[in-house]
Order: sequence, then C-alpha cells, then structure tokens
Amino acid sequence: MSVAQERATGPAALQRRGRFRPGDAILYVVACAAALTGVVLLALITREVLTEAWPAMQKFGLGFLTTQAWGDHHNTLFGAKSFIYGTVVTSFGALLIATPISLAIALFLSELAPRWIRRVVAPLIELLAAIPSVVLGLWGILVLGPFVTGTLGPGLHGTLGWLPIFSTEPTVGSNMFAAILILTVMIIPIVSSICRELFASVPQELKDGALALGATRWEVVRGVVFPYARAGIAAALILGLGRAVGEAIAVTQVIGSRVAINSSLFEQGDTLASRIAGQYQGADTALQIASLVYLAVILLVFSLIANLAAQLIVRRVAGRHQIR
Amino acid sequence: MRAFVTRRKRPLGVLTVLAVAVSALVAISVSGAQAKSNAGELKGAGSSFVAPLVAAWQQKYQAARSVKISYNPIGSGGGISAITNKTVDFAGSDAPMTPDQFNACGGCVQLPWALSATSVMYNLNGVKNNLHLTGPVIADIYLGKVTNWNDSRIRRINPGVSLPDKEITPVYRSDSSGTSYNFTSYLNTVSKQWKSQIGSGTTVNWPKGAGARGSSGVAGLVSRTEGAIGYVDVAYALKNHLKFAAVQNRSKQWARPGLVGIKAASLADRKFSPTNALSIVNPPPGKKFRKAYPICTYTYVILRTQSNQAALLKPFINWALTAGQADGPQLIFQPIPKIVVTRGQATLKRVHS
Repeated sequence: MSVAQERATGPAALQRRGRFRPGDAILYVVACAAALTGVVLLALITREVLTEAWPAMQKFGLGFLTTQAWGDHHNTLFGAKSFIYGTVVTSFGALLIATPISLAIALFLSELAPRWIRRVVAPLIELLAAIPSVVLGLWGILVLGPFVTGTLGPGLHGTLGWLPIFSTEPTVGSNMFAAILILTVMIIPIVSSICRELFASVPQELKDGALALGATRWEVVRGVVFPYARAGIAAALILGLGRAVGEAIAVTQVIGSRVAINSSLFEQGDTLASRIAGQYQGADTALQIASLVYLAVILLVFSLIANLAAQLIVRRVAGRHQIR
Repeated sequence: MRAFVTRRKRPLGVLTVLAVAVSALVAISVSGAQAKSNAGELKGAGSSFVAPLVAAWQQKYQAARSVKISYNPIGSGGGISAITNKTVDFAGSDAPMTPDQFNACGGCVQLPWALSATSVMYNLNGVKNNLHLTGPVIADIYLGKVTNWNDSRIRRINPGVSLPDKEITPVYRSDSSGTSYNFTSYLNTVSKQWKSQIGSGTTVNWPKGAGARGSSGVAGLVSRTEGAIGYVDVAYALKNHLKFAAVQNRSKQWARPGLVGIKAASLADRKFSPTNALSIVNPPPGKKFRKAYPICTYTYVILRTQSNQAALLKPFINWALTAGQADGPQLIFQPIPKIVVTRGQATLKRVHS
C-alpha cells in the first residue's frame, strides 16, 4: 500500500480499492460530526452569552470596563473594573510563582533525577492536577488561609512591607494572596508536566554534543534544552494562564469577594469567574444577571486573546527555531 | 494485511461500546423521567436557613402520609433559580422574591412558612457570649468606621468587659443569600449612611471585610479569624456553639436571638405586601415589642400556581403551615402567627394542577 493511499482522507478514502467499507464510512461521519459539533457549540455559546448580556451592554457600554461598582445606587450600577484587576493580578501572580517552580520540576524529572525517583514523583505531580478545585479551595480555607494570616503574611509584611504589594498585614485568611497561591498549586502540574515532556523530547545527540564540548549541566540546560523547547514552554505557560483566568470555585472560596482595587495582595478582591460563580444563582434583578453575563463576555474575550497569543508565539518561536 | 484487517475492526468495536453506552444512558434517563412523574415524592431546594426545619418535617411527613420530601439546601438564590427552571416542586427563600424574579419565574406565588432570626456572631478570645452591640455600631463596623474592638463606642455599651486592642474584620456572604437580605434590611433601618450608600439585598457591595460562601463559610471564616464579626441564622450559630451578640432594640433593651425575642418581633408587620412579603426587622419601641430581637425574618416557600404535583404539594404545605410548626421551637423557629397561617392557606388555594 503506497504512502499516498495510506494518507488519503475524506470521502476519497472511502473509495479505496474500489470497495465500500461501512466501518470507515461510519468513522468518517462520526468524526466529522464531532468536529462540527465543536464549532457549532462555540458559535451557539457565544450567541447565547451575547444575547443574555445585551441589556447590560446596552445600558453601560464600554464604560462597564472602567467602572468600579457592583449593585451600587440601589442595584442600578454595575462595572467590571475591579474584577478585571483581580483576574489579571491573581492569574499573572500565580504564573510568576509557578513558572520557575514548574521549570525546576520539569528539569529535575527529565534531566537530573535518577530513574526510580522520576517514576515515583512524576505521576504524583500529575495527580495534583486531578484534585477537584472545590477540594483545593477547601484546603485553601482550612490550611492556606490561616498559614497566610499567621505566618507568611506577618513575615512578608515585616521584611518586604515597603513593597506596595505587601504594604498591609492580612487580618483574615481570605485574600488575593491566598487566591494566588491556590492558583499556583493548580497550574504547576499543568506547566511542569508539559515542560517535562518537552525537555525529554530534546534530542540526546544535541545534549551529548554540548557535554562533549565541555559544557556543564546548567550550560546544557541553558544552551540546548531551553532554546529547543522555547515555543513549547511559552505555550505551556499560556495554557497555565488560561487555567488561572478561568478558575472560579477555588478562587471564590479564598479571595474574600469584595469589589475593591488594592495594591496590597493581603486585601480582598474578586475575579471575573469567581463573581459569576458566586452570584449568578438567585441574582436579584434582570440587570444584575445581564451584568454577570457581561463579565462572562469579558472572560470569553480574555481567553480568546490568550489562545490567539499562544498560537502566535508558538508559530513565531518555532519559525525562528527552524531558521537557526 | 492481516494487521490492517484487525485494525479496521477496532472502530466498529468502539462504536458498539458507544452504542451500548448511549442506549444505557437513554434507558437511565427514561427511567429517571418515570421516577419524576411517580406519585409520592416532592422535590424542593433553596434556603439553608430553613433546612433544619424541613429536615424535621421530612421524617414526620413521610411517616404520617408516606409522601417523600427531598430538600436540597443550596441557598435562597439557588432555590429561586430552581423553581424558575421548573426543576423543583417548591423552593425556600429567606428573601421575598423581587419583581424581576417574579417576572422570570412566570406564575409563581410565595408565602411565609417559617420564622426565625439572624444572629451577629464574633470571635474574640476571652470575651463572653452576648456582647452588647447596637444597630448603629454594627452598621459602622460593616462600613469600616468602627475598626477596633476597643473603640469607645463598643466599650461604652459593655461596662465591665475588657475588650482587646484588635482590628475588627467584618465577614459577609459572597453568594446570593436571604440571610444577607435580612441583615442588610436591618442595617438600612439603623444607619442613614448604610441606606444611602449600600442598601439592602441578597448581595450588596460590601465596603469592608471578606466574603465567604454559605452559612458554613461565614461561620468557618469567623471562627478561624480572631477579631472577626459575621452573621448567620441563629439555629446554625447555636448548633455550632458560636458566640453571638445581644442587640439593642428600639425599646433600648438588649435582646438575644431566642424564641422570646423572635415571638415578640413576629407581629411587627401585619400588612402583607401584594406578594405576601412581611418585614419585621427593627420593630418600633413600645410595650408590645419590648423583648423583640431586631434582626428577625419570615422565610418563604415559593410555588408555581400551575403544578402537576398540586395534589401532593397543597396538603404538604398546609401541614407545614399548621401541624409542622410544632417542630420549630427546638430548632429556634418560632411558630408563625395565625394571620400568617390564614394568609398562607388563602394563597395556597391559587395553586392548581
């Protein structure tokens, strides 16, 4: 069987060797329908979200994005500013902490650790990703919150209090810093497991070559492994960011849900996803529901931009890599 | 070629598995639909405030009338969503429905079916139960104007109590909650600034403090935070041995959220709104309300006027309004007064199948 025949796709594949194969036909129809369902679903969801949000979009326009309010003036004024701020701060904060840790984990498991450690630790870290977010949120309430108020907060405020982000001492376990830590725990397994696969796929000859030239382990990592996996790392980070931006339940459990913009991470705030999860059920007025869905529109646009950025970065970095 | 043949068979195998799975799912959903129309079961959801009382009713009613009652305490807001989406036969809500919610529900009625109070709880090491607080002080704590437990305004009303130098952390419900409605409605009546800046509702824009989900979330956050203040339904506070405040009523008495205080407040509002809502927060001064606890509330059951389950639903609600009230006191639910029972029964007549 020639390669061309093997690769033939679409209805043409069904005509292969001039015999109708019911199995192939069914496979084609099922797979095609599944692919179409995805596209149609996306379109339907977008349309539904826009329709539901329309009353709020009409009333507040783009000013919604720059208004800090929620149910002010007797439930007539809503705005997304503080939630956009909270979403950006918590998700980028989490990414900032998670990136070095994830890269270190991935390096350790792919390059440095003995095989038996690798076999035990790698699945355990991936298991971290399997913890339901509501359980992680409970852990945040019971363990992380008290730790932040009791130990971490006073320590950071005492030593780094001159930084605006640690300028106040936490009085209560629910705050933006707790949310950042929870999100960090959530994205580490995603980023580290993808990076581990990437690092493992770096051709052994390249690493051996560098070692033969007298490079140290660190120089191999910096000069060969990282550049080779750069596009993949960028994509993994954006995947992690997407997870952090969209997480609702665990965040709503630990962030303290307040409409506020504070530079200090030990104050309360709220994110787009957390606000939607917290208040959609039983919203008092139709305008409040529409405003909540308007938040969902913003979230949708956020994710869309993140995804497009990921694709762009991967394409650019991959392209440059090939030229080199 | 042999390998190819076996490979070709695999998708069919997968399809067979899929087909079996799909037919199984269909079978399950069909049997589910049958169970739904099966007589002898009523489904409810909503307020967690009223959940202990409904739990007591479930057992008694099933024993007496062999009708199974299920109730999912997902919060008042969740209950209103559930009855609006027709996934339950009745919903519990501590806040009366808003006009927008009635519109969305389409053909729903509400009636008060239980009566209790919201307690103001606090976590202060070494400070006794029933600390004295006045409405204006509570409002200013939540507004961020009274920020420390040793504030002179708190010390003045608590002679002999040594209050620590500790920042006050207000804790509130982050989800849509009838308890929040009760609490903020009270703050509306005692603070002009609260009324003009914040207002009342199942969710409001809290100026200070931290939010938590559900009664358990608020109680948990308060018990883990030294210096915190919060509000939960009194049954929950008692069950979990939380310290709560005695709040000054308009007769200048320090009232606790017990049966005596609730009973005294129960007739503070005798004028039903067109949708059967009653507001009994902060009763006026006077002999009748001398012992009244100022943060009391009726809690409501919401029904669809057209319900396939009407034949089961109406006797149950009627029983809950009458015989069922006897289960209340042990759970700190004061039996509802006669005028409320009568009004409820009249409204119940509008429900039909």
